[in-house]
Amino acid sequence: MLISNRLRWPLVLMLIVLPLLAASCAKKATQAPPTQTSEPTPVPQTTPPPAPAPAPTSESTAPPPFTVQDLRAVFFELDSYALTDAARAALDHDAKMLRDNGGIKVVIEGHCDERGTSEYNQALGEKRAQAARDYLTAAGIDASRLSIVSYGKERPFDPGHDESAWAKNRRAHFSPR
Amino acid sequence: MRALSALGVALMLCCGAAALAQTPSDVRIDIQSGQTRRLRVHCESLRPAGDRNAAQTSAQADEVLASDLDASAVFSATRSWVPGQQPFDVQAYVGGEWSVNGGRVRLTGEVLDAPARRSILRREYSGALADWRSLVHQFADDVVLQFTGESGVASSRIAFVVPEGRNKELYVMDADGYAPRALTGDRSIALSPAWSPDGSLLLFTSYRGGGGPQVFVIPAAGGRVFPISNRSGNNTSASYSPDGSEIACTLSLDGNAEIYLLDARGGSPRRLTNSRAIDTSPSWSPTGREIAFTSDRGGAPQVYVMDHEGGNVRRLTYQVSYTDSPAWSPKGDRIAFVARTGEGFDVWVCKADGSDARLLVSGRSNENPHWAPDGRHLVFASNREGPWALYVTDLDDRPPHKLDTGGRPALSPAWSPRRSGSGASGSNRSN
Repeated sequence: MLISNRLRWPLVLMLIVLPLLAASCAKKATQAPPTQTSEPTPVPQTTPPPAPAPAPTSESTAPPPFTVQDLRAVFFELDSYALTDAARAALDHDAKMLRDNGGIKVVIEGHCDERGTSEYNQALGEKRAQAARDYLTAAGIDASRLSIVSYGKERPFDPGHDESAWAKNRRAHFSPR
Repeated sequence: MRALSALGVALMLCCGAAALAQTPSDVRIDIQSGQTRRLRVHCESLRPAGDRNAAQTSAQADEVLASDLDASAVFSATRSWVPGQQPFDVQAYVGGEWSVNGGRVRLTGEVLDAPARRSILRREYSGALADWRSLVHQFADDVVLQFTGESGVASSRIAFVVPEGRNKELYVMDADGYAPRALTGDRSIALSPAWSPDGSLLLFTSYRGGGGPQVFVIPAAGGRVFPISNRSGNNTSASYSPDGSEIACTLSLDGNAEIYLLDARGGSPRRLTNSRAIDTSPSWSPTGREIAFTSDRGGAPQVYVMDHEGGNVRRLTYQVSYTDSPAWSPKGDRIAFVARTGEGFDVWVCKADGSDARLLVSGRSNENPHWAPDGRHLVFASNREGPWALYVTDLDDRPPHKLDTGGRPALSPAWSPRRSGSGASGSNRSN
């Protein structure tokens, strides 16, 4: 492959800059958990976020304020509201976040995949939201901070019609109250 | 399956009692063999009279009348205006006069026997020209009445749910799919419409109250929405008892989905089920003495039947591993339900005692079956041809036919009762 001398340098530059850009974008998207300076090292649980690429180091290290988006959704098996190991791990994380942010009240939304009737799924979604709520209250979160609502299969996160979409839609999900 | 006849004696007694309670009819719809014996009738063009524009509407009325008779599942209609459709071996000729004067129309409907052409029915209907279809429907229903002892359902309506983006709105249309119109426009999620026995009101579930699902009621002609149940937790799956004095619904106010009875205004809840499982989707027997419902108390969801007090609970059928959406026929003899397949649901029908369960509609997913008031048709939602739409099956060997909802996707149909005597369009009977 012949590349003229005139083009070679810009090309090399692009090869260096593009991955850097991509890395910083990806980092924003994965939204690393807030680093609280006051607490003794909050260690991210279970799946650690990808190691941050060398990025422009900003001087201001103020933690971003807690939002409901920092709470992890809980996923379920088909036709089930039993908490899996992964679900418990997510809820352990959520319980800690809620303990650390005592003023926050949340709605736990129960959701289902599109299979099954609207009516049955409304009940199933409620069971899922209750399962998440009960786990959190058992972990010491005051029940008055948690309300639940079931959307059944009516508000899917992924509108697809395959298992990968269904798996995303069988969830208990936190929203602000 | 028949080996279950150990249950036999008691069930047969029930069955016999139910059969005796039926109004006998001349036409037997034999869904067991998948065959129907339809009566052949020949439709002759209505004779236009009066205004110049009578001819135009009379041709449309001809087609509506013939379609109504075909859709009745009682008749097979040939049409005199279609080349090649001769009156072969017909039981009767149907026709009459179509007289338009200004904004009014008068239909003089006639039925003549064959081959003598002796008049066996002659009746007049009049009303506003704008409402001419309802006159034709009334005549078609009277023709069915003449031959079966029971009125047809062409004058009835179907309520359903239309997905609009992330929202769902409540709609209603004529039973033949004509003139769908929105009852709600609140950009919330409306679900599970259910008619009052007089056809004037629709119960439905909605998130419009904020928070979770609640039960509301709206006039079927449109108008203000009133709350029926907004108790803590889910309020879903509401339906009026056959006499309209009670509402069965699913509430989770005790923390778990249970079936309750409310009074007609939504007050004084009385709990019927008591299990840690999900209990939902109540469907009344036409006597009001029993209620079919879905429960997953045995693992997967299954249809059960209990009496009006919540006692005597029994599983409906053991032939399918996952069933839901029970719909008790207004004739009392059968229960339709859905059974899960790999791809979605099939519609099944069994006798009210659970025997004789058989597959009725399959192919992709077929959901929310709901009976017409004559117990001869089922409307259901299906994606069998791609987009979700409403289909009607006559329980015979003809393929389900799709209702035109004006290009909108449609879900969760509910067939209205027959229109009560207060004929809004001013039907005028003579003879």
